[in-house]
Amino acid sequence: MSTPLQVYEPFKAGLPKLGRYWKSLWSRRTFIKEYSKSELREQHFDSVFGQLWLVINPLLLSAVYFILIIIIGGATDSARYAHLTASLFLFYLVANSLTGGVKSVTAGQRLILNTAFPRIMLPISALVIAIFKFLPTLVVFLVIKAIVGSPFTIEMLWAIPVLLITIFLALGLAITISCINVYFRDIASFLPYLTRTLLYLSPILYAASDLKPSLRAIKVVNPLFPILDSWSQAMVQGEAPQLSSMLQGLAWATGIFFIGTYFFLSREREFAVRL
Amino acid sequence: MSSLSVSNAHLTNELAVSIRGVGLTYTTSIDKKPTLKARAKSLGRGKKQTRVVRALDDINLDIQYGHVLGVIGTNGAGKSSLMRCVAGILPPSQGRIEVYGSVSTLLALGVGFNPSMSGRDNVFLGGLAAGMSREEIAGNFDEIAEFSELGDAIDAPMRTYSSGMYARLAFSVAATVKPDILIIDEALSTGDARFKEKSLNRIKELRTEDRALILVSHALATIEDICNEVIWLDKGKMMARGNPAEVIAAYREYMHVRKSASSDEDV
Repeated sequence: MSTPLQVYEPFKAGLPKLGRYWKSLWSRRTFIKEYSKSELREQHFDSVFGQLWLVINPLLLSAVYFILIIIIGGATDSARYAHLTASLFLFYLVANSLTGGVKSVTAGQRLILNTAFPRIMLPISALVIAIFKFLPTLVVFLVIKAIVGSPFTIEMLWAIPVLLITIFLALGLAITISCINVYFRDIASFLPYLTRTLLYLSPILYAASDLKPSLRAIKVVNPLFPILDSWSQAMVQGEAPQLSSMLQGLAWATGIFFIGTYFFLSREREFAVRL
Repeated sequence: MSSLSVSNAHLTNELAVSIRGVGLTYTTSIDKKPTLKARAKSLGRGKKQTRVVRALDDINLDIQYGHVLGVIGTNGAGKSSLMRCVAGILPPSQGRIEVYGSVSTLLALGVGFNPSMSGRDNVFLGGLAAGMSREEIAGNFDEIAEFSELGDAIDAPMRTYSSGMYARLAFSVAATVKPDILIIDEALSTGDARFKEKSLNRIKELRTEDRALILVSHALATIEDICNEVIWLDKGKMMARGNPAEVIAAYREYMHVRKSASSDEDV
């Protein structure tokens, strides 16, 4: 008699066997790829105008916010515009993984009720979609940067680790919020307010250095603050960002990822009952 | 969670699934949807309003290869819960389930989880989630599409499908992917007479020596025709198990239904 391939027993609260979980997740990596592809195709991002919209949308957004800056803050310059676009585009990478992630588990209800698979694939797919939407805006930014004559330097390569930290943070946020949404379905309705607040608390419409000393607390409580600051330093000013900012961003990302993933993994076997 | 492709030859009467003392309880909230608002409103009003559902109670069952097990019972008897436990979707609250082979869940119903995507995308995504490779699905896809008789509609978004089309695609997926242990949960109940006939024949073809089949249905005549063992669940408890004719007769008597046309009609 062979040994059983699978054994299902009552689960105690806690994590599944991580090695097995990872193997099972890795063997399904094509799902993540295909899911993101179909999702993007369904949103028409495989057509010329769909792609164009991916570029036009952030451009229009940055134009609107630029007008806002001019009206509220008075005169401004092209470097300010470069800072705005660079930060805004990166911010939307995080915001899109949040909005995509929040309903990823609840929308996969039919799949969850009928197939056994690592549920974490769903928020991961949401992140991958957000990354695909981000990539064209990166090209747009580089064009803007060339037009406004901002310097291209070797220090800009610092943007790569900053981007990786951002993706890590976005992943943690997507996993966390998708799990929360299973238990509190109205989180999805609060989300627009949350992202909007996060937008204003982040150094996007203003430079990090312009922040009044009395408002410095924002720096500490907003996980995006150090990342966006570093990103702007590397991408816009072409300088090496402060290591402390990057480490602070990494600490946020790691913390959110581990706490969110712990909750997700220890509760995902219950999702089928909750949906 | 092994891939469906791991299909070893199994001997008839070799154990496929062993279910030992399995119980399943869960708590459902009385509120329609769990929300933060509802939680905040009920703060300070004592305990959260919940209901404990005992879906399965001390189920013991062995399923062997080469056998076809029928599962009958009223709505809410725990049939689907038991199937979900076997498929590893719901962890049992008590007991232990051992599975000796690859299980296709009602893969079937997982198809179409995203109504705005086409039937083709849904079949691929459902298969990939179940652990199949792209190539495996592509290799089976033509057969699935042909069996479902959907024609060009396979590339239309699934929200445009009728319930019959849904069911046809679902059954085609379940019947084409050839796992060691195949669970078919009510996937047969829609579709026109001709398609029912066709699916019934397919199930008979799938009844091979090295596969275990579990069929959940309200169509008692079909169960009696196809299965060589039947279990009857009621309120989470196993009421009877054994020869199809006897168990079904007992069930009919319990339900006070005569052998009428309405209980036999659906496949």
